[in-house]
Amino acid sequence: MKHYLQVYQKFVSTAFTQASSFRISFFLVILMDLFFYFSTLASVIFIYDHVEYIGVWQKSQLMFFISFMLTLDWLHMTLFSESFWMMGEHIRTGSLDFILLRPIHSIFSVFFRHFRPATMVNGLVAIFFLIKYGLALNLSPLSWALTPFLIILGLTLLLIIEIIISIAMFWIVEGLGVNFLRMQIQHLSRWPDFIYASLTRKVLTIFLPVLLIGSGPVRFLYDYKDYKLLIGLIIAIIISWKLMLILWNVGLKKYDSASS
Amino acid sequence: MRNYLLKWTQTIRVAWTNYTTYRINFFLQVIGPALVFFFIKYNLWSSIYSAKENLIIQNYNFSEMINYHIWALIVGLLAQGHTAMNLAEDIRMGRISSYLIYPFNFWEFHTANFVAFQILQIFISLITIGALYFSPLLEFHGAFAFIQGYIYTLYVSIFWFCLQYLTGMMAFWLEETWILRVIVMMITAFFSGAIIPLDLFPPDLVAVLNYTPFPYLTFYPIKIFMGEFTAIGTPYMILSFWILIFIVINSLLWRKGLKLYTAAGM
Amino acid sequence: MIHSTNLSKTFQSYIKEPGFKGSLKAIFSRNYVYKDAVKNFNIESKRGEIIGLLGPNGAGKTTLMKMFTGIIVPSRGDLTVMGYKPWERSKEFRKKIALVMGQKSQLWWDIPAMDSFLLLQKYYEIPDDKFKKRVMEMSDILQVEPLLKVHVRKLSLGERMKMELMASLLHTPEIIFLDEPTIGLDLVAQENIREFISEYHRTHNATIFLTSHYMADIQALCKRLVLIFNGEKHYDGPIKEFENILGKDKVVSFYFSEAQNPNDPLWMRLEPKWNDFLDQVELKIPESDLRETTQKILDHKSIIDFHTENMPIERVMKTLMANPDILKA
Repeated sequence: MKHYLQVYQKFVSTAFTQASSFRISFFLVILMDLFFYFSTLASVIFIYDHVEYIGVWQKSQLMFFISFMLTLDWLHMTLFSESFWMMGEHIRTGSLDFILLRPIHSIFSVFFRHFRPATMVNGLVAIFFLIKYGLALNLSPLSWALTPFLIILGLTLLLIIEIIISIAMFWIVEGLGVNFLRMQIQHLSRWPDFIYASLTRKVLTIFLPVLLIGSGPVRFLYDYKDYKLLIGLIIAIIISWKLMLILWNVGLKKYDSASS
Repeated sequence: MRNYLLKWTQTIRVAWTNYTTYRINFFLQVIGPALVFFFIKYNLWSSIYSAKENLIIQNYNFSEMINYHIWALIVGLLAQGHTAMNLAEDIRMGRISSYLIYPFNFWEFHTANFVAFQILQIFISLITIGALYFSPLLEFHGAFAFIQGYIYTLYVSIFWFCLQYLTGMMAFWLEETWILRVIVMMITAFFSGAIIPLDLFPPDLVAVLNYTPFPYLTFYPIKIFMGEFTAIGTPYMILSFWILIFIVINSLLWRKGLKLYTAAGM
Repeated sequence: MIHSTNLSKTFQSYIKEPGFKGSLKAIFSRNYVYKDAVKNFNIESKRGEIIGLLGPNGAGKTTLMKMFTGIIVPSRGDLTVMGYKPWERSKEFRKKIALVMGQKSQLWWDIPAMDSFLLLQKYYEIPDDKFKKRVMEMSDILQVEPLLKVHVRKLSLGERMKMELMASLLHTPEIIFLDEPTIGLDLVAQENIREFISEYHRTHNATIFLTSHYMADIQALCKRLVLIFNGEKHYDGPIKEFENILGKDKVVSFYFSEAQNPNDPLWMRLEPKWNDFLDQVELKIPESDLRETTQKILDHKSIIDFHTENMPIERVMKTLMANPDILKA
């Protein structure tokens, strides 16, 4: 554990060294994220200008959910996103070779490698909306206290599912497409489970459990008796974790290493 | 003249090969996102309209709202699918030199690539429309509206290509252009009415947007397909105006960038 | 140290016909082709050996190295390295090996080499004092100390290669795999790197596998040579003996003061290679006739200059590929 933390510390510090030499990108990334937050929130607000309910939720409930997912997305953007894109690059150019040589688990050194300093500040915006709509809902102190942990729990499942999808890059060498697929999964998870028709909902809860990421925690925060999806989230994390480890090894066996 | 045309057709052929070599990628990058986007919107609006029977939101009943988004899917595929990623990569990787030597220019090569891409997209959009034609979801508003809409949408794709070309050119100055591309795509999707119809936006915002090209990129073509607008005059003029501006900017950027490139030997 | 029997690796790729029709067809069905990059490869090596792997491009040298380091998984056959199965990639195994590739960089392009080293220190859990000592030692020998804090992208190829070597040897590996470490470098840098490698070998008694296109690298460093063609081993033994197999022929270059008749019987049987002006020629002369033949040419022709060398590696390869039987004899 200490070994991993020490390595991670170096990941972060090299990321800062790198970011300091690409300043325009640094600001453009911030801009990109802020516009993403804006358009996501505004779309929902504009719809609520004309209706009172979307599914079973009124405005602050859905807005809190959206803010919850934006905060989760912010952590994802800062900690992991870049690494997923780089993985395709590593496989295509064969620089994965060196990652595989290191005496540390390759899942860790592939997916935790690229910290993105630019997006760090954007968290304030996401958290601002989370607090704003949480206050509007009069969340209980316990719910407030649980929120950060539940965000991390949801992020964990999202991350594992995304890693499993990314393993496809060992077969589909051009990694861009797989990354686009991964982003579609994120899009699906950004809406509460009840907007999906019953069959879709079942599939996206049980077989590709992306709806558990947000709906599990948020439903529980609103009503402690609504805990089933949250339990589902925890079970899904355990099962998909095992699956991820198995598939990763299968993928590594397939790895050809470019330009041999 | 004949030889010149042959250069174009051969380039288009090679471009087809490139697009289809990574077949799964082509699907995942171009068609997949459009379908998922539509799928989410379909579910969302179904759930909103299920609250009350015969609910009408800003003059849209359920079927009209779904039709709006089906046409948004078609317009997205046909007009906003192309990216200038290859162009940016050519610049970034210093592959321009070969265009400076070949008797086929950089812009010609990338325009031919765009044409190849559009032909594939025409193919795909027609299959999509064909499939939806037999579903109860899609309502046609006559051959005239459809042809008018289709031609107008193809014109929008030229605007989109010029805009993408501009972001690609920024590769002379930026180490990564994808961020810029994503920003342009998000802004366009939101302000052109691809996410939710502009009729649902606050009226003040729409008044401002009418001074920008955004409404003409998605909202207008959808309305033409739905038989509510006709495409004569103004929209074409506004798009032409912007296309002209982009061409001027792009050729300026190319000259500046080339100086930078030849001076630094990048 | 390394022990392999019938080690093989097969790669898959597909064929596409040109044009739109070909593209459409490729979407639905593909003709796959399989290629054996390495075929039934057997080797046995001891600690402290330096082994040179020689072969033309695409012979399977790099594939072999990647199997030895556990980067790719063999398709068939057995392989153990220091008692480990490389493809299981155990942590202890990875701490004992290093791979240097002349064509691929392990250093991060946008940060100084020292930052990369510090990250590697954490990867390999090297204690601070030992790390500092290693960096000092190596940068001293390679004379790169002032470059440690320069962004890697600003370094010259030779400087970068030195940094690559340092990065790979920070954790004092027991086996080092060097894949064309001197490719594209000038002669001085090549020699620097050779000396550095042989110094490391002396002080740590490390086992080293080396591939190179430059015969000089192999001659300077290796006692044992392994020759590969099309994924198969064709020779494995002392470099001395190998030189003898081919050493019967020498290459002699002559520079004449005027154009010559290429059909002169003097060189008809010596596989002459002429330049465009017909005033320079490379002749392949058996060692036994060297004096006699050279003397004859010197007597009959007006010579400006001439020099003799062993068969250059490219020519050796060509000859061997044309008649693989030479090796069997």
